[in-house]
Amino acid sequence: MVKFYQHTFQYDHSWQNVTLAFWLRYPNPFASHVLAVDVLDRYVDDRGVLKTTRLVLKKGKVPKWFPQALVKNSEAFVIEESEVDPQAMTMVTRTKNLNHVRIMQVEETQTFTRHGDWTSCKTEARIISRFGWGLAGRIEGFGQSSFAANASKARKGMRHILQLLREKQVGGRIPALMSPSLDV
Amino acid sequence: MSSSVGADCTKLKIKYDNCFNKWYSEKFLKGDTTPECDELFKDYRACVLVALKDKGIDKLLNESRQETPFPPEEKSNKDSSA
Repeated sequence: MVKFYQHTFQYDHSWQNVTLAFWLRYPNPFASHVLAVDVLDRYVDDRGVLKTTRLVLKKGKVPKWFPQALVKNSEAFVIEESEVDPQAMTMVTRTKNLNHVRIMQVEETQTFTRHGDWTSCKTEARIISRFGWGLAGRIEGFGQSSFAANASKARKGMRHILQLLREKQVGGRIPALMSPSLDV
Repeated sequence: MSSSVGADCTKLKIKYDNCFNKWYSEKFLKGDTTPECDELFKDYRACVLVALKDKGIDKLLNESRQETPFPPEEKSNKDSSA
């Protein structure tokens, strides 16, 4: 069985800022589980589309009922591929976990499109477990409900960064958020 | 900014990220797609690749990309509807 998740909502922010916030979204107070983020590949293709591959290291959460001995470590590597088309004003991001895939594989697609002064964000996810012992269904159920909770936290994180951008962008200045003074 | 998976790479990452974020908001989004941070990216990326190898993540990455190319490979001769 596979479980699905779908959600659409709008950010009260420009498309440009939402896509910038996507790059800046870690760290934020709602993402303490994110340990590291790296850019592995990035280029502008011949259509002027920015393509990026990032690797995100997250601290996972294992449910209490799950056989603890089967998870050596709960750290999860997530690969994030994205495409930004500045002319069409669309950003599409796809993420999936690289390890623990037999226990659970989560594939998420997010599409950010301009909607006047607002930005619409569509999230679609597919959660699948190939785990034995009759646990796959339960794992998928856990994955689906925690995905919904995590997606809500992710939106809070994005809004937090967007608010900072809005505060700092008075007069079109570069947000202090990006300056080295706030780093580390 | 967040750390790099390789502790030694975080400084290079911050330098690169700062360059990229500035370029992204001031150039790319305004239509100028000429890259500007390639040198910084080269140094940072080289550092990360070593860290990934040390942690054995490089194999995981390669396998994952072979199993299901993600996203699907785009052909450059694909219809350009722009």
